[in-house]
This record gives sequence, structure tokens and C-alpha cells, in this order.
Amino acid sequence: HAALSRRYVLCEVISEDPRCRQCIEDRVLGLAVRDAITRVHGDYGLACCSISFTVKYLNAYTGTVLLRCRKDSYRLLCSALPFVRHLESRGQRYPCSLNTLHVGGTIRTCQKFLIQYNRTQLLRMLQNCTNEEERQCIQKSLLSCSLTEEQSESGDEEDDDGTE
Amino acid sequence: RGPAGLGMAVAAFERRVLRNAAEHHYLRVRLELPDGGARPNAAQFKQLVVTALRELHGEVGAALPVDVLTYEEKTLSAILRVISSGLVKLWSALTLLGFYQNRRCAFRVLQFCLFFLSPNQTSPFLLALSGNSRELVLD
Repeated sequence: HAALSRRYVLCEVISEDPRCRQCIEDRVLGLAVRDAITRVHGDYGLACCSISFTVKYLNAYTGTVLLRCRKDSYRLLCSALPFVRHLESRGQRYPCSLNTLHVGGTIRTCQKFLIQYNRTQLLRMLQNCTNEEERQCIQKSLLSCSLTEEQSESGDEEDDDGTE
Repeated sequence: RGPAGLGMAVAAFERRVLRNAAEHHYLRVRLELPDGGARPNAAQFKQLVVTALRELHGEVGAALPVDVLTYEEKTLSAILRVISSGLVKLWSALTLLGFYQNRRCAFRVLQFCLFFLSPNQTSPFLLALSGNSRELVLD
């Protein structure tokens, strides 16, 4: 039987409005992405992408979002992401855009990319510091980071939680 | 707008062979509006085709180059031309369209053609070469 292939799309939410961060929830993002797919690719596109579509991971602090979809429809999904213009939550709309960072076949490859990406982002933030206080803050954060081995390795390869 | 050629015995036809002869596909369609109300004019008909594409295939579908080559308001029949790669999108969109201005309607595809044969430059004449629709794939 054919293997169930999925694609994991890693993106970040870019917004000038700091209140947009509190909108970063799986339901809000799921709706925004689905709405964009409907506008760009119609009912057919929405139906294609909705199979196995889910928001797999979110980080409201960094604005990182990990989306999952079928391998057959990841192009429909990726081409619709630039058309997400705002996030809507509790009757409020905050303008934003989605920047695609990486497309991978497993959660693990996206995770590896994200770790590397965050490292470079932190270094860039350090370089762009405007005052000494910020610099000290970031340096302290960086130095206090440590990698802890997880005791129970929950297989996060091809995550198959049965949700279609 | 060049016609694609086939060898024909009749003297009235001209043989012309184009390099990319199958660039466009042609559909002869008829709109069924059973309620007997006002009929759409040519512009409204085109708008309806674009609307059908937009509903099923979104803005990308609506941007598909589709031309209404002929339209007869009395019978609501038309010949549509679409770029070859867009045939499946167009056909599926027409099939699934159910309403025109909140009135029940349906598109009937009467004929599907690969080539458009012209006996001379001034009067277009459609020759049906049926394509095998089972080979069509939506990608």
C-alpha cells in the first residue's frame, strides 16, 4: 500500500502590531490559512488541502508556526500563504503576513532547521542591539541556554496521530 | 488567430499545419435556465463562466484565459476556447455551477474539440474531433 506522505511547512508570523502575538493560536491560524486557500484556489483547493491539514506547532513568542498537509497538496498550501493578510480573534483583526521558512517531510527536519534558524536570529539580535542593557540581557539568555536530553523519546518522526 | 489544418478532400478547405496546434481546446456549451426569465447577454455569460471558475478554483481559476468565441443569446449556447492546460479546471467548474443570479441553472457540454478548422479566413467553422476525456488529468 502507498505510504501516507505529508509535508510540514514552517513559517513565521510577521506583524508590526504587537497585539497580533496574542492571536497566534491554532484555531485562529487554521482559519486564516483555510480562508486564504479558499480565496486563491477555491472550493477544490480547500478540499484538497483540508485532508490531513492541521497546525502542528505554535510559538507565540517567536511567531513560529508549523503546518502539516498532504504531500500532494503542499503546493496549493504554500502558494496561498502569502495571501494571509490578517489574523482575526474575538472580533478584532490584526494585519500580519506569513513568511515561509522551510518545507520538510518530517517534523524532525523542520525542528533541525528551526534550531539553526533561531540561533542565527539570536546572533543577529545581539548585533542589532541599541544599548548595553539589551546586549547584556541577550547575552545572559544565550549563555543560559542548554540542551536537555528528553527522558522519554516520543517518536516525532512522521507524526501519525490519526487525525485526518 | 490561426486555424489548425487537416488534409481534407473538399476543395473549400485549406490545409495549414501549426507547430503548437493543440494550444487551445474548444468546448461547445449550452446554459440551461429552466425558469424562463431574462437571458444573460454575452458579457454576463462570460462573467458567469469566470464566476464558476472562481468558486471552484479560486482567483487562480478565475485568471484562466477563457474566451467566448461565439454566443447565441436565443439558445444560450456558446463556443468557449481555453488554453489546453486549463481544460479540466474549466469543465469541472462549468459542471458544478448551479446558480445564475440565484436562479437554478446548469451548463451542458455538448462538444469538446481539439482543433478549430476554418474553411477560409472570414467564417469560422467548427470541426468536431472528439478527444478522449478519460485521459484528462487535473494537476
